[in-house]
Amino acid sequence: MRKSKLLMIIGPLFLLGLFVMPMWNITLEAPQYPEPLGMDIWINKIADHNPNDLKNINLMNHYVGMKEIPEHIGEFDIFPVVVVVMMALGLLIAFIGNYRWYLGWFILVALLGSVGMYDFYIWEYDYGHNLDPKAAIKFLDEDGNPMAYQPPLIGSKTILNFTAHSYPMMGAYMLFIGMLLSLAAFIVGLKEENQNQATL
Amino acid sequence: MKRLFIFLCTGMLIFPGCDAGDNTPSSAAAASSFENNTPKGQASVVDNVSAKNILQVAAGSKDHTTLVAAVQAAEIEHILVNAGPITVFAPNNAAFDALPAGTVENLLKPENKSTLVDILSRHAAPGTFDVKQMRKEAKKARKIYTATGDYFEVTVAGDDIYVEGAKILGTIATSNGIINVVDKVILPKNN
Amino acid sequence: MKNYKTIAMIVVATSILLIIANCNQNATTTGSGALTGSAAQKVFVPPGEHDEFYAFMSGGFSGQLAVHGLPSGRLFKVVPVFSVDAEKAYGFNEETKPMLETSYGFIPWDDSHHPDLSQTNGVIDGRWCFINANNTPRIARISLKTFETEEIIELPNSAGNHSSAFVTENTEYVVAGTRFSVPVPQRDMSIDEYKGNFKGAVSFIKIHPETGRMSLEFQILMPGFNYDLAHPGRGKSHGWMFFSTYNTEEAATLLEVNASQNDKDFIAAINWKKAEEFIKAGKYKNMPTLYAHNVYDESTHSATSTMIKEVKTLDPSELPGLVYFMPTPKSPHGCDVDPSGEYIVGSGKLAAALTVHSFSKMTAAIEAKDFDSQAYGIPILSFDATLAGTVKQPGLGPLHTEFDGKGNAYTTFFISSEVVKWKLGTWEVLDRKPTYYSVGHLMIPGGNSQKPFGKYVVALNKITKDRYIPTGPEVCQSAQLYDISGDKMELLLDFPTLGEPHYAAGCPASLIEPNQTKIYKLEDNNHPYVTKSEKDAKVVRNGKDVHVYMTMIRSHFAPDNIEGIKTGDRVYFHVTNLEQDYDVPHGISMIGANTSELLIMPGQTETFVWEPKRVGVWPFYCTDFCSALHQEMQGYVRVSPPNSNIALSWTLDGEAL
Repeated sequence: MRKSKLLMIIGPLFLLGLFVMPMWNITLEAPQYPEPLGMDIWINKIADHNPNDLKNINLMNHYVGMKEIPEHIGEFDIFPVVVVVMMALGLLIAFIGNYRWYLGWFILVALLGSVGMYDFYIWEYDYGHNLDPKAAIKFLDEDGNPMAYQPPLIGSKTILNFTAHSYPMMGAYMLFIGMLLSLAAFIVGLKEENQNQATL
Repeated sequence: MKRLFIFLCTGMLIFPGCDAGDNTPSSAAAASSFENNTPKGQASVVDNVSAKNILQVAAGSKDHTTLVAAVQAAEIEHILVNAGPITVFAPNNAAFDALPAGTVENLLKPENKSTLVDILSRHAAPGTFDVKQMRKEAKKARKIYTATGDYFEVTVAGDDIYVEGAKILGTIATSNGIINVVDKVILPKNN
Repeated sequence: MKNYKTIAMIVVATSILLIIANCNQNATTTGSGALTGSAAQKVFVPPGEHDEFYAFMSGGFSGQLAVHGLPSGRLFKVVPVFSVDAEKAYGFNEETKPMLETSYGFIPWDDSHHPDLSQTNGVIDGRWCFINANNTPRIARISLKTFETEEIIELPNSAGNHSSAFVTENTEYVVAGTRFSVPVPQRDMSIDEYKGNFKGAVSFIKIHPETGRMSLEFQILMPGFNYDLAHPGRGKSHGWMFFSTYNTEEAATLLEVNASQNDKDFIAAINWKKAEEFIKAGKYKNMPTLYAHNVYDESTHSATSTMIKEVKTLDPSELPGLVYFMPTPKSPHGCDVDPSGEYIVGSGKLAAALTVHSFSKMTAAIEAKDFDSQAYGIPILSFDATLAGTVKQPGLGPLHTEFDGKGNAYTTFFISSEVVKWKLGTWEVLDRKPTYYSVGHLMIPGGNSQKPFGKYVVALNKITKDRYIPTGPEVCQSAQLYDISGDKMELLLDFPTLGEPHYAAGCPASLIEPNQTKIYKLEDNNHPYVTKSEKDAKVVRNGKDVHVYMTMIRSHFAPDNIEGIKTGDRVYFHVTNLEQDYDVPHGISMIGANTSELLIMPGQTETFVWEPKRVGVWPFYCTDFCSALHQEMQGYVRVSPPNSNIALSWTLDGEAL
């Protein structure tokens, strides 16, 4: 079997990792929480990092009028389907064996990933800005506008007495590896093609 | 020559270090000093309100200056202020004077402290042995067990009570027990 | 030139070395403190850091158990055991009232003396703490996961449960002896007939190896002496239990004189493995009796009390090999066994010397039938046959001994107010340090096991007088901490304690810290009146009884407005803390309720009863500062006259739940 084909078979298989590992994590640190509170974002759910974390995040956040972290959103129905379809498509392309399509798959997954990140940002923005007007505690930012509590898309940020960290987790890294493998498959395929042409 | 210079410099560095080392013992001295701020234990407690304890009563008696001096030399003041109850058979000054010449002076020497502690402890017994109780002990032929593990016999002759042959001259109730003034120093039996 | 330089260097280097050496010498001569750090440093636990050891101190006449840290001496928790505690609603809420039930009914107080920790293979395992109630004889088991009293068992036929609660080296039994002998079974008889008729019951409480559940397995009915203190054999002497006795005179009056007559009393050696054989062989008598067994169930957050009506008894006068007496001078108080199990120290509290018995000499004497005489059919071994040695003139009024695991023993002397360190085997006194004042027990963490942690000893004092800023006629109780890691003891710290600290038990914090329960899981809450979510909150009337199913979470109660209650009702507030976050308890109290607050841990349900007496609108509130909006955590109950037709309603934020 050609090396590029092998890489292209392995690449999409890495997407399986998204079903067994969370892809993103937001952690909130504060002095009164020696064990920080954390939420893990999976392709089909938002879950406690440690038992009861979501409940405790909601409890803290309700004072400033933030909504509860949803147990279910529409994206959680779509994401798994998209991932399965992309994986199947990737394997199909691999078996067809045209290396140019490998690049196509990579670009498609990257595009879909970006859409996912944008969707995540929209949710975060709403979560941090769309506050209950009856909230018990209302803070204003430096400009006198109601304070927003949006966690960072990626990185760390101080929000009042909390430090929020938002970083990818193993599931996301598996996705990246899978994508990189497809890119590698394309490059190897390109080289193989050139060698073939040279030998011909 | 360069190396010599380095050595000298190192030496200079060590000297201040040595000074710092000399400072530490002062904190150690402070640390150990609180162990000694009440050297006599409960005897150091200042309390002018409570009923007087055995030590305070004895210290206020001009007939017991030798006994008190001996207790101080033996450093057992804290035993006489203990919650008790204890009974002290307190030889008066005359009783000490009746000992062979030089005995008391000899016992008060620091090197004889343990002998002195032993002799004084022999005069203390756990329990409340006032006149009534002493008569009862005599009647029931019960002996009094002392702090040194000796047994004292109590006898009654007419109105007088004797403990181990020493006559009880008077009895004083104190906050932590009984003082029975006796006319003899009660020495170990084998002596 | 080169040589000259080398010589000069050597001279300079040597002189520096000499100066350094000299400097060090100065430091050492001024006291070991300079090298080991000052006392303040040794007891300083920096903010945020943890103590190295737990110390579980008896609360004495408070009836509780105090949890301190060592070396700081800081008090962390008072675990309510035998006395009601309004702070924690122990004995006030409906769930824990059964814990204080006895065969005499509900008793709100007792006098707790001797804590001891569970062991596995002779080493402390950090699972449970046991402690005795002296007045109305009981033994309690405290979980070291939750630091709550989980179980209390009453001891029939016992009175003044003092030689208790001592744990055998695999926690097979907790052993409890009676201080006062009494008629067994109790009956109306003349006190003058004490001698020969009263009995001293020694109880063996079996401990379930997994759950820790206690059951009174059997009692040995000993002669009518006073059983003062006890310790289990360990290592080679495992299977034996040793009790100090006094009043072998069997006096019933003026014991201060009449119980001090005999030259020697006894240490009773009880072979409990043999007792197990006799039980197995059916050589026991079932005696009708009555005692309470109270168990707190973590899943229902509630206790139950069961009355038991029978106990197995063994009569040592009929069962040879069960008990032997070792003569010990002058009313021995402490009865302490060294880590190897070979030496049994009897502290004759009126004796001039400490008596140490040898276990191997004891077994040899039993083998050789080297008996002086017998008492009530129990052989009395000859004094010299079991004697290992005596510590001569160690001090006045010896009480208790602990061991450091390095071959040294530490004994307290009440009258001469000191701790004396002496050597096992040679019996020589190595060091003595005064205590302030009149020391009772002492404790080395693990000192009552095969593996002591011989770093500190805590002296538990009876008198403090001028040691602290005064607080009126009643001044604080006190402990003192000594460093025993060196040759000489060093006094480090005085710290106040609860009640009168009798005995204490200690162990490294690392044995207990990792197993702590932080919250109770709401899904595991099987309380019959639990409310697991706000939408399940409700108020149910059943005649004059009204049950409020209430929840609490930051920062509100649900419901927080209740109407339709009438004077003459009996209102049960069953309150569930819905929090699932560490250290977020909530409290609740109701104006005019004739009980304490509730203090409810996350995931827990507790109940208080309120009988409203006056018409009006009455507030309740959260008593534990829980959150930024704690002061907003409150509610109202409307109380109407008995003939009112106001319907029962319950709301939150103006809406039905």
